[in-house]
Parts: sequence; C-alpha cells; structure tokens
Amino acid sequence: MALLSVFYRRLVSVSPACFYGRASYSTTQKSPIHLVQELRKLTDVPISKAREALAASNNDVEAALKWIEKDLAVSGAKKAAKVEGRTTREGLVSVCVLSNGTRQDPTGVSSELGGVRAAMIELNCETDFVGRNELFARLAADIAHTAAFITEHDASSPSFIRPCALDVLGDAPLLSQSEPHVQTPSTVSSSIRDLIAKVGEKISLKRAVTVVHGPLRRESHVLGLRVASYLHGATSSGFQGRIGSVAVLGLKTPRLPELMSRKTFVQDLEKLERAIGRQIAGFDTRSIRSTPDDETSLYNQPFMMLGAEGADETVRHALNKWSRQRGMVEDDAEGGIEVLEFAKWTVGQDVE
Amino acid sequence: MFRLAAQRAIAHRLAGSSRAGLRVSSLHTRCWTATWRSSSPPLPSFSRIGRRGYAEATKFSRTKPHMNIGTIGHVDHGKTTLTAAITKVLADRGAAKFTDYSQIDKAPEEKARGITINSAHVEYESENRHYAHVDCPGHADYVKNMITGAAQMDGGIIVVAATDGQMPQTREHLLLARQVGIKKLVVFINKVDMISDPEMLELVEMEMRDLLSTYNFDGESTPIVAGSALAALEGRDDEVGKDKILELVKACDEWLDVPARDLDKPYLMPVEDVFSIPGRGTVATGRAERGVINKGDEVEVIGLGTSYKTTVTGIEMFHKELDRGEAGDNMGCLLRGIKREQLKRGQIIAAPGSIKAVRKFVAQLYILTPDEGGRYTPFMAHYRPQLFLRTADITTSLNFPDGTPDADEKMVMPGDNVEMVCALHTDVAAEAGSRFTLREGNKTIGTGIVTKILEYA
Repeated sequence: MALLSVFYRRLVSVSPACFYGRASYSTTQKSPIHLVQELRKLTDVPISKAREALAASNNDVEAALKWIEKDLAVSGAKKAAKVEGRTTREGLVSVCVLSNGTRQDPTGVSSELGGVRAAMIELNCETDFVGRNELFARLAADIAHTAAFITEHDASSPSFIRPCALDVLGDAPLLSQSEPHVQTPSTVSSSIRDLIAKVGEKISLKRAVTVVHGPLRRESHVLGLRVASYLHGATSSGFQGRIGSVAVLGLKTPRLPELMSRKTFVQDLEKLERAIGRQIAGFDTRSIRSTPDDETSLYNQPFMMLGAEGADETVRHALNKWSRQRGMVEDDAEGGIEVLEFAKWTVGQDVE
Repeated sequence: MFRLAAQRAIAHRLAGSSRAGLRVSSLHTRCWTATWRSSSPPLPSFSRIGRRGYAEATKFSRTKPHMNIGTIGHVDHGKTTLTAAITKVLADRGAAKFTDYSQIDKAPEEKARGITINSAHVEYESENRHYAHVDCPGHADYVKNMITGAAQMDGGIIVVAATDGQMPQTREHLLLARQVGIKKLVVFINKVDMISDPEMLELVEMEMRDLLSTYNFDGESTPIVAGSALAALEGRDDEVGKDKILELVKACDEWLDVPARDLDKPYLMPVEDVFSIPGRGTVATGRAERGVINKGDEVEVIGLGTSYKTTVTGIEMFHKELDRGEAGDNMGCLLRGIKREQLKRGQIIAAPGSIKAVRKFVAQLYILTPDEGGRYTPFMAHYRPQLFLRTADITTSLNFPDGTPDADEKMVMPGDNVEMVCALHTDVAAEAGSRFTLREGNKTIGTGIVTKILEYA
C-alpha cells in the first residue's frame, strides 16, 4: 500500500518535468554546452536564459547576444516585479565630481574659476555580496556620473545641493563614467533592471543629489566655489563607499586669481577639502553652525581629520587660521574659506 | 530511570533507520509507547510521541568531533531550504531536531544584537560528526562575527541553483570564504527538479569547478552534489531529495577537515599570576588554553622580552598535586630553577617550539560602534591603543599595511572591518589566529585576529 502510494506520487511529480523536457527537445535542438558557457562569460545571464537565447537564435552566439539584450528588458522587468516587495539595506553611496571649481583654463591665461558640477547617489541592494560586486559598483558610478552630467543649473533654488528627481534620472540615458563616449541605448532604470536580471536581487536607486553651479562671473575675482567629497569604505575603484559626504565650500579673498594659479596653494586647498570631507563623514555631523557646545555641528568639532595641524582646534578656528596662513585674508578682514552646505549619507540609513 | 532511558534508546535505534522502518516495526514501538505512557500523561498522536522521544534522548554528546559549518549563496538559491532539509532528513534518523524555515529565518533578538543568525539554533549529527550550522547573510556581518569569535565556520557549503548557475556575486561568496580562512568547500547544486536537461547540470558543475580553482580552492576534487532541498523537505522524490541530502552530509564528513581539538594541540598556558613558595620555588598560575602537560615536561616561557626553557616540576590544582593538567584547567605550574622576577603576567608557558614571540603582525580588526561601547570618533594611522592578548597588556601602534594608497589620509570609523599592521611596544607570544582586544582608557574599542606575522622578536 505504502509502496504503491510512493510510486503514484513519483509518477505525478515526475511526469510534468518529462513532458516539458520532451517538448523542448522536439522544438529545438540541444544547444552545445561550450556555447552556453561562452555566452555566460560574455553576459553573466543565468544558465536557463543563455540556453533559451541560443535555442532562439540557432546556436549563433552573435544573434543570441542580441536576443539576450532584448530579453533582458522583459526578464529584468519580470524579475524586478518579483522582488519588488523585498527590502534593500545594503549597497553603495557613489560620488561623481565632474568639476570641483578649479580653473577651467590650465594654461593660466584666463583668471576665471570654473563652476562646480557633482552628484551623489545611493544605490541599494539586498546583500553586501552584491554590493561588493564589480557590476554593481560600476552601475553606481555610472548613475552618479549621469546625474552630475544631466542636471542643469537652477537659478531659482536657494541652495547649492539639490535633490535630483529620481524619475527624471531614471529616464535619462546612462552615461558611463569609464567610457564616456560609448553610446548605450539603455536608460538608468533599464540598466538597473538588467542588473536585477543578472544578480537576482532587488536593486533600487534610493536618492540622488546634485551640486551644479556656474562660475560666479561678476565676482569671480574675489569669490569662488569648491566641492569637497569623501567616501568611506571605498571599494577598489574608489568612487563609492558605505558613507559618503559632499560639501560646498566658498572662498572669499581679493587675491583669489593669484592664489588659485599657485600650484602649492591648490594642493593645500585640496588636502584641506579632503579633510573636511572626512570630518563630516567621520564625526556625527548634522549642521555647520550651531550653539557653541553642540558637538554635532561641524564648526564646533575638533578638526582631528586635518592631522597634526588641527588636532586641538575647532574646525572654525582651523579654517580661519588656514586662510590667514595662506594669505587669503589680512588680519581683520572678512573672508577666507567657509563651508556653505554639506550632505552626508550612510548606506541603509532611514530617510524621511 | 535507567531502564526508561535504555528503552528509549532501543526505540530510537529501531526508528532510526527510516520512517518506513518505524512503520514496519510498529509492534515494538507500540510496546515501547505503552511502557512510556505509564509514567506520563497520555499524548494525542503517535508521531508526536516518537519525535518527543528523539528530542529528549538526544543529549549533547562529546564522542563525535564537532565542526562549525555554514551555508553561503545567493538569496534565492535555497540556503534556508537546504538547512531545513538537512535537519529534516537527519531528524528522521534521529540525529537532529527538525528546524523549519520560519525558525531559521527569524531570530529577531539575535539580529538585534548584531549576531549572525542562529549559529546555535541549528545543529545536527552525521555518522561520525556533530555539526553546528551557521547561515551567512552578509560579508561585513560575517567578517565581524569571525573577528569577534561570535560565529566561526570551519567549512562551508556553497549553494547554487541549477536554473541560474553561478551568479556574478558567487565570486564575492568565494572571496569571503577565502578571507575568513575556510580551506575546503562542498558545493550543493539546488533545484535540479526544475531543469529538464542534465547537460546543464554538467555545465553548472564545470563552471563551479573553474571558479573554485580561480579562487585557490581545490576545484578538481571539491565534492559537488546536485539535488533538490525542497523535495527533501517535502518528503518527495527521494532520489533527488533525501538521498542527495544524505550524500551531501556524507561529502561534508569526508571532505571537510575537522579543526584540531584544543586537547590535541601543543600545551599553552598564559601566566596570570606568579607566586614564590618558600622551600619549593616559583609557581605560575593560569588557565591552560590548550594541550596537555605532564609533570616533568620541558616547557618554554615566552613573551615580554624573554624566552627561556625550563621544566615543570609540579602541577597543582585546588591545592592538590596532580601529575597531569589539560586544556581548561585552572592550575599552577611549579617551574624548576626560576626566580620570581623572571616570570610575569602576560608571558606564556608553552610546549617548546610550538609558538614564538612576535613584535609586528597584520590583523583583521573590527572597531566597535558607540552602541557596542566603542569610540564615537574615527581614528587615523599611528593610533596607539592598548592591546590585550591573553593576559598580556601591551601598547601597540596601528598603521595601514605598506603600499596602502593615501595611508596618511585614511581614517577608520567605528563599525569598520579593517586590515591593519600592529607594531607592539614589547613582544608577546602570538600566531595567526590569535584573538585580541584593543582598549583605550577604560573602553574596549575593537577586537582583532592575527592574520600574518611580520616580525618575530
């Protein structure tokens, strides 16, 4: 009796598979294993997809690649719908700085400072295994690059760091950071779906901000803008990490063109900017200025990230001292270097 | 009481063969339940009695060597199903307690404490081993647990679905295994009941072997078992279900190496305190960390600038003399011809040549977050906390390994897993795998594990 029931169960559960198997053999010939393997090396698609592609294109790898490209849109969307409800708390923050406010003309003929153009994005996934994968890192860098590239200066906005609309960014064509001249037909959101199809995890673009401002034309001989950024826990490529900060700095000095043409000054400035980026990311920084005893405001914190120079001083004093030492301001004059705005993100942090 | 236990053991053995076996031998079993019932209130169903019997009869036994094993794989490839299936199949043999998905996936209190889920909840026994099963949800989580010692994997099962094959992140899975020092893996190709063409299975296998070899595992001889965890869990299609689970467990038994037990390692005792007993000599006390010591054995005293050989002329525990002490014992060792000044807390007494004093090593560190009692602020290279290794307390400086780009500008934040070079102020006995903590003031700010020795004393 028991034996019979076992047999019966086997029959029922096995037969659909057999049927399916036979059906697939009769319509298509088997695709050779080495072709499937080759296709997987080229595209990272799941085995079942690679086989389907070869079957549909008569074992022609070229045609199969095209088939996969088309199919990824469909299967990516399907997979994306399937994983929709899952939570994504891992991933990367990626920063792209296209212009940090240096002189646009390296020959030194023009004294004008360039504008600033940068973006920071957070791309999430489910596990940090995917977050550490190169495909994911590249996509995050490309999306940040795209955001920095496509955003236009908005004169009406009072702030420098502005959120970037995710639907607009999603529809934008993906502009690769490593190969900026390669035209791809895919948009940001379709690239995300492609990657979902490949890694099988939910991937979502959580937030994006951009800093885009043209040169301060009328006053560019005394006022300058700079972008400082830092990424903590950066993966191999260095463009993304677990914690990211972007800060907009203002320079005010009557000697601006002269100072900015000096190589040592610019090097010092960049070092200071990196220290500010680290300070914001490393400490619990929530504002720039605040009441004197508030340790969460940047200007009250000891500037430990500047190294020996700033160890015992607050950021405010260290910045003042730095400006005076480098001749940006005379003793009592107003000016120097100032942090105007900043944004700091941690991967997986809750946002209102 | 003894009779009861014995009867249970018999029933256990009878039922142990398989479920079918249990049915066939229902006559014996009925006798057993009848006697059993006499000593306790009646229970509603037959099967429940049977299972209760296993659970109670399964006392943790030290007779089998213990091993920590983990599953690594993509979220949808069935790690949890496989874990549940292993416990189910082995529970049918009486060698595990069936742990369902829901119990495996949900351990909120442990998640809240930041411990990788249920390292202690899932356990099972094979023919000749006892396994504790860990799931490995994330890289950073696991590395942290490995460093702090909260979870340990001695071997791993990589789970790959036959439908997808290896995925881009499978590389990251293998990298993790490498990083945490797993030398051997077993591969389980899951969901074989979902594919129609056995050739594809060969491809999955081939690709896995390639990838394993790429990451310096033995791709050629790594056992690869293909089956369906779901089938095993649902109790259908034994040839891809239950049988394959058993094959997998057998592969783990045969391929994965059990770590040496503390008792089998060379003797080591950290010196906690030193006494001088008039008329007898100098005694070092401490808790033996590993190995066995016999009266008359030659030992080496290592660390804090000295290293010399001597002989243990007496072993004492609880004011009684012994001929032999072993790992775990709190004991005192009487050392021949040693003055009190020659021994200090922080040194170790070890079997000669088994361990050396070091000055500089590479370590994997986990820096505690403020919530865990650690620092609030980041630190940079040249930071000098106190390093506590066994009973030793030494100032160390922390630097990034040579060749790290922008090392002067790199910072380490609370919550980071980071590799750094520890340069010690005085030497101490250590080897790859030694764990230590870092403290500053009265605060533990991090823990670490030695990965590579750079400089011996």
